[in-house]
Amino acid sequence: MLIETHQLTRRFGPRVALRPIDFALAPGEVVALVGPNGSGKSTFLKMLAGFLRPSDGRVSVFGVDPMRARVDVMRRARFSFAPPPLYDRLTGREHLRHLARGVSREEIDRALDRVGLGARADDRVRAYSFGMRQRLALAQALLPRPELLVLDEPTDGLDPLAILELRDVLRSLHRDHGVAILLATHLITEVDALVDRLVLLHEGAVLFDGTPDGLRDRPQLRIVADRLDVAAEALGGRLVDGAVVLEAGALDLETVRARLAAAGARLHAFGEVRASLEEALLARLRAERTHAR
Amino acid sequence: MIGFEWLKLRRSNRPWIALATTAFFLALMLVGFYTYAQRETGGAADFRYTYENESYFNGLTFALYAFYYGFLLVLPIFAATEGGVQIAGETASRTIHLGLARPWSRGAIFRAKCVVAFAHSAWLAVFLLALSLAAGLLLVGWGDLRLYPGVLQLTESQQFLPQREALVRFGYVAIASVLPLATTVAFALWLSTWTRSAVNAVGVAVALYLVMFVISEIHFFRDLQPYLYTHYVAYWRELLQERIDWSRVALDATRLFAFGAGFLWLAFRRFRLREDP
Repeated sequence: MLIETHQLTRRFGPRVALRPIDFALAPGEVVALVGPNGSGKSTFLKMLAGFLRPSDGRVSVFGVDPMRARVDVMRRARFSFAPPPLYDRLTGREHLRHLARGVSREEIDRALDRVGLGARADDRVRAYSFGMRQRLALAQALLPRPELLVLDEPTDGLDPLAILELRDVLRSLHRDHGVAILLATHLITEVDALVDRLVLLHEGAVLFDGTPDGLRDRPQLRIVADRLDVAAEALGGRLVDGAVVLEAGALDLETVRARLAAAGARLHAFGEVRASLEEALLARLRAERTHAR
Repeated sequence: MIGFEWLKLRRSNRPWIALATTAFFLALMLVGFYTYAQRETGGAADFRYTYENESYFNGLTFALYAFYYGFLLVLPIFAATEGGVQIAGETASRTIHLGLARPWSRGAIFRAKCVVAFAHSAWLAVFLLALSLAAGLLLVGWGDLRLYPGVLQLTESQQFLPQREALVRFGYVAIASVLPLATTVAFALWLSTWTRSAVNAVGVAVALYLVMFVISEIHFFRDLQPYLYTHYVAYWRELLQERIDWSRVALDATRLFAFGAGFLWLAFRRFRLREDP
């Protein structure tokens, strides 16, 4: 395993930022760490980078404790944190030249072109937009090519085209070079197609760890009728966003029609739907919050 | 890594602000020295461009006074600023993460920052002395250096150094003055590892320097003096005596070095063990 944590916990004073977390990332795997702001994603990444000490439990990256052997970890891993910390008075090219020592000029130029900063490489960073800073942070994380790439909110501030390009870059790193990638994001739709596994964090605890398909609920039967409350009672379903929802295949069309007619309601729409990943994610978070109350 | 730190320093405004402030200070000193000399001599002091000035108020006296005040009151502010911003500034802007996310040890990062901060302070000391001498010799006039006992505690008895010998001694002073400034940098670096704000680090370093300097200069507090590094920062005054007591110079330099090494050790220990959220 490239990353392994066992009961990893972090407290800041009385506040628990991370509840005991067991996590593993295998070579070549692409995993998204998803959760709302303040869910503990960045804290988790900083513990992987050896910037923060665990309060309890243990963490190992490439088999070593990153707090004790950070240099060994950083020889093989690249981290990019959000928002991207950069030196405003230095140019993009100067950042890469000094941060990625030993990398040839040609490679630096290629990395800058790859993130679309070739034409602005000699401008000072203070003249960059947030999206450009994000691209530069990505470029520095690509040099030299790591075995493990850890990106914190990499799509923040990027326009749709840049997000597509980012996906292409990451896909190519993964496909062509077997780079393992850990992405922390609160916008799952932007990396949905890229990841093998999702880890959903909420208030420092893991709510879900599995494939994106596993997070989506099974297909649902969605019925729209007038007098929805009556219809929900007649069909034995739940009212969700202006529709009665049942498990897919629970009732056929004729049965629904007959029950609604008997209850004095009229059917408008009948069909099976599958929740998007984002909807599934939000549903999990809402359910967790309701449960917590 | 030193190249990277050097580039960051060059791109910041700090060196230019320090140089401009030092030059402004010298200009004020020049006007103040001129008006003081005029008043003390009843208007008899005569300043021209590059001529031999036989009076006590000559270019070397001006250079010494300007350097003395500048060294004790102006340069420490810039030395403390440089030490203060090196780590606290990068912690506040989180750019410290850029270095820590590279296979660079904390020791290497710390060393590079120290070297650049020390070099910057040393360069300022040399600049101040060179400019003081240039302004003194060109605008006040040359001559021999005479020192008398007084409030500045430059000497305990009357001293006389011929111009050539005085210039050699100023060369010694330039070298010796690097150590006290490096100690102030080390002190500020230590404070810098404790705070996440460059403004706080610099403010506290400057304030503590001034507090310690004032305490160490007041005779009433002489029992405290050995514990305050500021008591030794003007140890280079000994180099302007007719007969230099080298053992005293070496002892004070060793004390300063010990203070500086202690501050650096504390700073590095804190930097090595701390977390960087």
